[in-house]
Amino acid sequence: MTPRAAQGLARGEVLAQEGVLAVTRRRAPVPGTPPGANARDEEDVFVAVFDDGSVAAFNGHVDLGTGIRTALTQIVAEELDVRLDAVTVVLGDTARTPDQGPTIASETIQIAAVPLRQAAAGARRALLAMAAARLGTEALAVAEGVVSDAAGRRLSYGELLCGARAILPLDGDAPLKPVGSYRLVGQPVPRADIPAKATGGLTFVHDMRVPRMLHGRVVRPPYAGLDSGAFVGRSLLSVDRNSVAHIPGLVEVVVLGDFVGVVAEREEEAARAARDLRVAWRAFSAPAGLDDVETALRRNPSTRRVLKETGDVDGALAGAAKRMPRTYSWPYQMHASIGPSCALADFAEGALRVWSGTQNPHMLRADLARLMDLPEARIEVTRMEAAGCYGRNCADDVSGDAALLSRAVGRPVRVQLTREQEHLWEPKGAAQLIDVDGGLDAAGNPVAYDFVSRYPSNDAPLLALLLTGAVEPSPAVLGMGDRTAIPPYDYPAMRIAVEDMPPIVRASWMRGVSALPSTFAHESYIDELAAEAGVDPVEYRLRLLKEERAAALVRAVAERAGWEPRTGPRRTGEGDILRGQGFAYALYVHSKFPGYGAAWAAWVAEVEVNRRTGEVVATRIVAGHDAGLMINPDGVRHQVHGNVIQATSRALKERVPFEDGIVAAREWGGYPILDFREVPAVEVMMMPRPEEPPLGAGESASVPGAAAIANALFDATGVRFRRAPFTPEVILAGLEPAAPPPPPRRRWFRGLGGVLGGLAVGAAAALGWAAALAPVQPPGAEAFPAAQLERGRLLAAAGNCAACHTAPDGVVNAGGRGVATPFGTIWSTNLTPDPETGIGTWSFAAFERAMRQGIGRDGRHLYPAFPYTAFAGMTEGDLLALYAHLMAQPPVRSVVPETRLAFPFNLRPLLAGWNLLFHRPGVIEPDPARTAAWNRGRYLVDAVGHCGACHTPRNALGAERRGAALAGGFAGGWEAPALDGSSRAPLAWSEADLFDYLRTGHSPRHGVAAGPMAPVVAGLGALPDADIRAMAHYLAALHPAAAGPAVAPAPDAAAWGAGEGARLFEGACAACHGGGAQDGPEVALAVSTALHSDHPDNLLRVILEGIPSVIPGHGAMPGFGDSLSDRQVEALAAHLRGRFAPGRPAWQDLGGRLRHLRATAR
Amino acid sequence: MTAARDIVLEVNGERHALRLDPSAPLLAVLRNDLRLNGPKYGCGLGECGACAVLLDGRAARACVMPLSRAEGRRITTLEGLGSIEAPHPVQAAFIAEQGAQCGYCLNGMIMATVALLGRNPSPSEAEIRAALAHHLCRCGTHLEILASVRRAVRERAT
Repeated sequence: MTPRAAQGLARGEVLAQEGVLAVTRRRAPVPGTPPGANARDEEDVFVAVFDDGSVAAFNGHVDLGTGIRTALTQIVAEELDVRLDAVTVVLGDTARTPDQGPTIASETIQIAAVPLRQAAAGARRALLAMAAARLGTEALAVAEGVVSDAAGRRLSYGELLCGARAILPLDGDAPLKPVGSYRLVGQPVPRADIPAKATGGLTFVHDMRVPRMLHGRVVRPPYAGLDSGAFVGRSLLSVDRNSVAHIPGLVEVVVLGDFVGVVAEREEEAARAARDLRVAWRAFSAPAGLDDVETALRRNPSTRRVLKETGDVDGALAGAAKRMPRTYSWPYQMHASIGPSCALADFAEGALRVWSGTQNPHMLRADLARLMDLPEARIEVTRMEAAGCYGRNCADDVSGDAALLSRAVGRPVRVQLTREQEHLWEPKGAAQLIDVDGGLDAAGNPVAYDFVSRYPSNDAPLLALLLTGAVEPSPAVLGMGDRTAIPPYDYPAMRIAVEDMPPIVRASWMRGVSALPSTFAHESYIDELAAEAGVDPVEYRLRLLKEERAAALVRAVAERAGWEPRTGPRRTGEGDILRGQGFAYALYVHSKFPGYGAAWAAWVAEVEVNRRTGEVVATRIVAGHDAGLMINPDGVRHQVHGNVIQATSRALKERVPFEDGIVAAREWGGYPILDFREVPAVEVMMMPRPEEPPLGAGESASVPGAAAIANALFDATGVRFRRAPFTPEVILAGLEPAAPPPPPRRRWFRGLGGVLGGLAVGAAAALGWAAALAPVQPPGAEAFPAAQLERGRLLAAAGNCAACHTAPDGVVNAGGRGVATPFGTIWSTNLTPDPETGIGTWSFAAFERAMRQGIGRDGRHLYPAFPYTAFAGMTEGDLLALYAHLMAQPPVRSVVPETRLAFPFNLRPLLAGWNLLFHRPGVIEPDPARTAAWNRGRYLVDAVGHCGACHTPRNALGAERRGAALAGGFAGGWEAPALDGSSRAPLAWSEADLFDYLRTGHSPRHGVAAGPMAPVVAGLGALPDADIRAMAHYLAALHPAAAGPAVAPAPDAAAWGAGEGARLFEGACAACHGGGAQDGPEVALAVSTALHSDHPDNLLRVILEGIPSVIPGHGAMPGFGDSLSDRQVEALAAHLRGRFAPGRPAWQDLGGRLRHLRATAR
Repeated sequence: MTAARDIVLEVNGERHALRLDPSAPLLAVLRNDLRLNGPKYGCGLGECGACAVLLDGRAARACVMPLSRAEGRRITTLEGLGSIEAPHPVQAAFIAEQGAQCGYCLNGMIMATVALLGRNPSPSEAEIRAALAHHLCRCGTHLEILASVRRAVRERAT
């Protein structure tokens, strides 16, 4: 039976139980809440002991993956003297826990756990008093929830509480156990939550499901990541609900101001609806120049706030022997939670229940009350686990979204944000700009420290409040730029100021808040002073570090790491590799100024710099940490590890790119984080200080990281890097500050003007209309023998009528697909035997005339986008079988758009002239000199399969060029590569390759069928192997057998580079294309025809659109068109070309082709 | 989106007859139709690995896997490896080494490790790191995860 503590009792229920002892505190009313709107129950429960011996402990903070649930369990079990497994810790739940503010600033152990510990001590004292009364003695001992006296009489807590209901106030005066008697606190304890997470148990909010639950998605405005400005909440022009009417399972489209959401029965339906929904927005003005953090932050309006001023700073600076003004900058960064935020909301009967991954359930409840216009008492927020965040991500936002959608449909709605939405909209870790002025006297001692920091961030108001217009989009100034602004060093004169400023883009607290960048400045600057003074940087720090606990840590870490004293940068290494070692120290001072310190931390970082590529590898980090008493030393160690790795990632790799004022990184290729191959050796040195109070460990160890790495880079290179992150570009620019910019690219303009000009002279012979052929009654399937129908089915598959004659999402062969041609869009017709809109009244004679001459039943000429020029070669028997097959299908009424080409192409009679010029009707006769297979292949390729329609280049009038059969063409915006000897494929197409490709859609030596070729291969699936072999045989004979090498050329390692293209490939592509271990055909890019082509079109289209799963049993590639910017796609394509087709020239005007394809392919 | 049809999936040793759009992502079906919590949505682009499952013993990213590709194959999710009472040796190794902070990436880490050991029972450190390279962890749990994999290798060897 579930222990009573684990039964999920709400606050009021706990207090109404029989057999309970609860320690409570009266709740303060929420200020500013109107009377009646805040009818919340009034007693907060901290600890409840039940008569089955179980203990519930309530804390308003949440576990963000840091293990505080386990540490709090230890604290309560220790003070109460019960077993760990007797305690259930309930975190962040508005119906159960006290409101202890957001889980920020490493406060849980240091601050939020204090009343819990006192409550546990109070409960223990009360239980002992009960036992004393029963046993008649106060000489009692407690172990594992059992009280015993000297005589060996025993009473368990459960027995003591049988039938009792004791509600005690939390008075905080119960005696706490001395540290020396701890049995549980200070011992390593395994995390309680991992077994369920490792086996698929329900712990994450993403996995919460309730009956009748629907799935929601949101559609965000184009001003991604901006939460201030007049356009916020006021930019929606229109929503076209018809654009999603075709989606099955769609329940509702919800529009409230700029809030747009969709709700559907199934998740993939909601996702599809969110993608397809056509929404029109007003233009907006984005902030300019965010890539230049320095300029953007200097321009942002601000108010100076002086935090500390000692001594005569200006006088000291004026008198310095060596004045050293410096500027340090930090980029915008992302929490980049691995799981995009998710929430489930159930609005029913005027009450709202929300399951959320929030870090601040009570603050979220207040936001939801405002959003929904509900009293807080009608809202319950249950916190479930979520993907790790390191501050405020979109967890609250998605809770608001779910609430709005649930109210709109009256059912529970689960909303999952997409990766792109989380990247774009999460409140960013703010950029920061720090100016430090100071200098040295003649003896090398510092004279002053003049520090100003700019940090544009606030608490990022709930998005739904802004989008619906419930709050004004005018940014608050929260002044959180002061964290750890005071340096730890005893400078003789100091002026420490912050320029308080509003956010520029949506920004809020992220691990280390402003302290991490401030420490980057403090710890870089003291390193600069030491180098200028010619003193070892650790020694120099110790001269100025007055606090003994800090100095002890610095000494211990330096010793442990094997610190190598130096008086300047050493620039050691060999070949291209330079090596360096750097030091940094910080006491993370957090919360409202002046705040208080969390754990002390110091790093020794060792790096290797490749001076040719600019790549930096952190090879070893020694992290010292003084957290006082460690509740769970394993938990602290894991937090130090996590901080070291994340801070290394942030320092070396992470920067939010902006394009046109909008966040440009929407997936992991655009925002790379450290991966397993880059993880340094990490050694953690814990200072043993069990006698000191426990200090927060969730952030401290990250704070010195960037400076330690920058200082190591200085040691390796002699160059001071003051702008993070230290990417290869930054390193190379630092090493060679005078490197000339790359030469401007030559531009090649492609034009159609000449081609179109030539068209005017064409088709002079206008021969008028052909005769209409008489309509017939639709014959129906029964009119044809089964064998003929089967033969027709195969021919329809081989000719793939459906590829052109089926609209996207339409009924097979019912027409309506637009075929883009240089002359305009031609709409395919309805091939089903519907008498009015299809070919139901077509006689065979009419069908045959259309197939051989390109003339419709009514006598109108058909455009040669319909490849009658190829079909003319089919035998009469095959045409009859195809006719039978088509006529045997169910008729579908389908009116397709009329093709309307511009003059002169709208004049269909001109096509008679075209036919005279270009059409050579006649059945393909077998060549007796060739094998049967060759002849069969030719018939399938040239007639039925009409391969030349795409693969043969066309002349200015759209006719296949004579003498260039299958020499490569363009169709539907895709390149149809050459099938003859002019193929650019890096490996020659053998007959076996062609068979593999046509049969399966994949040749390991060439790649997969994509674009219009994928449905062709799918259609060929109906043909027997013998036919496919015949086609392969014929095609292989088109080009000399020896053309091309037998193995792929080796990718050019030197051309890989370490730049943006390489990073995008690594993050976005390499999981599947990196020789990895993923299931599915491994597509070796080095042999890809698309990458070796003269034209980038196919590669670009595959990147943008992906490869849908068309061929049965075949995989799919996702499209990145919604996830990568033009600049990113261009960089990626250029990188792929250089890396995998090193023998081929770089593509010219990639950007132009890309913009063209973006504009036309949608 | 294509028309729904009858599809049989074999997941964790059980056959499930479903009527679904064959182009639907396997991940959505595992999570919503079969109510499995193991595979997680992380990016929808096959980049991060949170959604990993095994197809005939090989790691696959369910978020970009059309249902049709999983037909007729043996699908294994985290739940199919073991239970909280009787975890698979790799799950047990991750629990023993505390290979999770938030744990959202844990599914992918475990599945990738099972797949790795299936094809290479004694991987080197470099091979372990390469096998996990495209499984992203944001909490910085890499050291515990690597220790978990090494333990799984060790315990398999003994």
